[in-house]
Amino acid sequence: MNLIYQGRCWKLDDDVSSDELISARHVFEYDPEQLRKHLLAETRPELATQAKPGDLIVAGKRFAHGSQHTHPFLAMKAMGLGLLAHRLFRPPFRLAIYSGVPLLELGEEALDMFGDGEQMHVDFNTGLITNITRGQQLEATPLPDFLLQIVQAGGGLGYLRDTREHPASLETSHDT
Amino acid sequence: MAMSLAQKILARASGRSFVEEGEIIWAKPDLITVPEVSFPAYVKRLRDIGITSFAHPERIVVAIDHEVPVHSTAGAERNRLTRQLAVSTQVGHFYDGIGITHPLVVEQGLISPGMFVVGADTHTSAIGGTGALAIPFGMEVTMPMARGDIWIRVPGTVRVRVSGTLPAGVGARDIVLAALKQIDEETASYNVIEYTGDTIPGLSIPERMTIAGLSIDCGAEAGIVPADAMAAQALQARGVHNAMAMAGDDDAPVHKEIYIDAATLAPQVSIPPSPAHVRDVTELETVRIDHAYIGSCASGTLAELQAAARLLAGRRVHPDVQLLIIPATRKIHEQAMQDGTLNTLMRAGAQLAPSTCGPCFGGLAQLNAGETRISTSTRNDRGRMGSVDANIYLASALTVAASALTGHITDVRSLLQE
Repeated sequence: MNLIYQGRCWKLDDDVSSDELISARHVFEYDPEQLRKHLLAETRPELATQAKPGDLIVAGKRFAHGSQHTHPFLAMKAMGLGLLAHRLFRPPFRLAIYSGVPLLELGEEALDMFGDGEQMHVDFNTGLITNITRGQQLEATPLPDFLLQIVQAGGGLGYLRDTREHPASLETSHDT
Repeated sequence: MAMSLAQKILARASGRSFVEEGEIIWAKPDLITVPEVSFPAYVKRLRDIGITSFAHPERIVVAIDHEVPVHSTAGAERNRLTRQLAVSTQVGHFYDGIGITHPLVVEQGLISPGMFVVGADTHTSAIGGTGALAIPFGMEVTMPMARGDIWIRVPGTVRVRVSGTLPAGVGARDIVLAALKQIDEETASYNVIEYTGDTIPGLSIPERMTIAGLSIDCGAEAGIVPADAMAAQALQARGVHNAMAMAGDDDAPVHKEIYIDAATLAPQVSIPPSPAHVRDVTELETVRIDHAYIGSCASGTLAELQAAARLLAGRRVHPDVQLLIIPATRKIHEQAMQDGTLNTLMRAGAQLAPSTCGPCFGGLAQLNAGETRISTSTRNDRGRMGSVDANIYLASALTVAASALTGHITDVRSLLQE
């Protein structure tokens, strides 16, 4: 799977909670085509209709904190969005990987290099990020190979599908 | 090498004698819990990729708990599917509307100290109050459902040492909120919060579950209360004959240790929009409330309902306040009926609903814009209970009951002195 994304930057503030990304009242819904309509519906209603595959969500600190719901990440996967964020907490980090959303974790200064609406090019395999609008480049640490494999399989379920036929391969422990 | 209780549990679950903090391992859960909000959707996703059976169906618990009784046609269809699939996939345990999963599995005697439990629901970590390691994984539980194992980075430990005797009006909720005050998400992330100190032996299993469950809300991997002799006895009384005391090594590495003096603790309240934004109740007494709620996996316990009933006995809830009571399980509901607790609460003006997660996530008794609720539930994010312009405060049943009487957030200690 190609983990090179090119598109618009959707810049978010710090402290966007999981429930703000998709309200907890949608916990019963799992159809990604429905969930994508709810992503940031209250605070960035234009995202659902205007975002295109290859666009990047550039989030601040404590992104998707709070509820440990998969829903926002399923929506992001359905919309073809990649994620750049300040160091993620454990639940959103795992849920993004599981949903097949590629991500890079960045420091505060690096995140300031991207503004809402700017054009970006991101290679999640190598960590190379280009702000096309500003003509600036930045290298981030890519995900460990083991997690890139899961993202490249389209997420946890794809990884499950690819590996389940070979139970022997499941017994090894993976280090990062 | 010294290991924490969480490390010991993960070592056993991964077939190793030692696991090191930070390494990624594959571990096999002893129990996997999935509510009806998730179960049919997860089964469908697995079937879509050709997986039609579970690795260890006997380890899977399915519970209808989020929408009880059903009040939507979508919910009716979800429950029909859940009932049908629970049978056809041969899951080991299926509970149909008799309680919220986390207290229910403990009540049913499925949990013993040292178990590795994973769940779809965020507050699965409540089960850690028994000395089990219980970690929420959301939809990722499809992985252990299908394969029998899940990848996990071995967590570190943040230790909370609680000492002294709790004053009247102060309890388990106030301990965990006082801990959340001192543990930010940067500290909590990838760590298990472990509780110790001379206050802990005096806490019941349900109180320890309140502490372990709400610990997740600072971004921790889980909360855990190592099992002492009392915990082992209490679980044995539920039919868990092999329940034993279990703790980590004294010299296991700890990232941070924090101290809570229970004796000087005031009632604590989480203010919007995060459970981890905590204040002493005395700072909030001017906040008017429209709604009060006592229930949820965290606080719908018999002891919390009884404490609220003792306070409300012979009194009336403020005329501008709606007080809703939901026992966490049907057994608690029955016990509270038999001992008169529910009678007392209803005479004071409370409404009563059957055991469900309902209001906690906005599935029942929703709030309008501009309304304020004080609640014993788990989270208070914007929009959690309906309108994004409603305000949710979180506190103990005693603080909620006291506030329901006066119509504003109230320090229950002032009413206990009367």
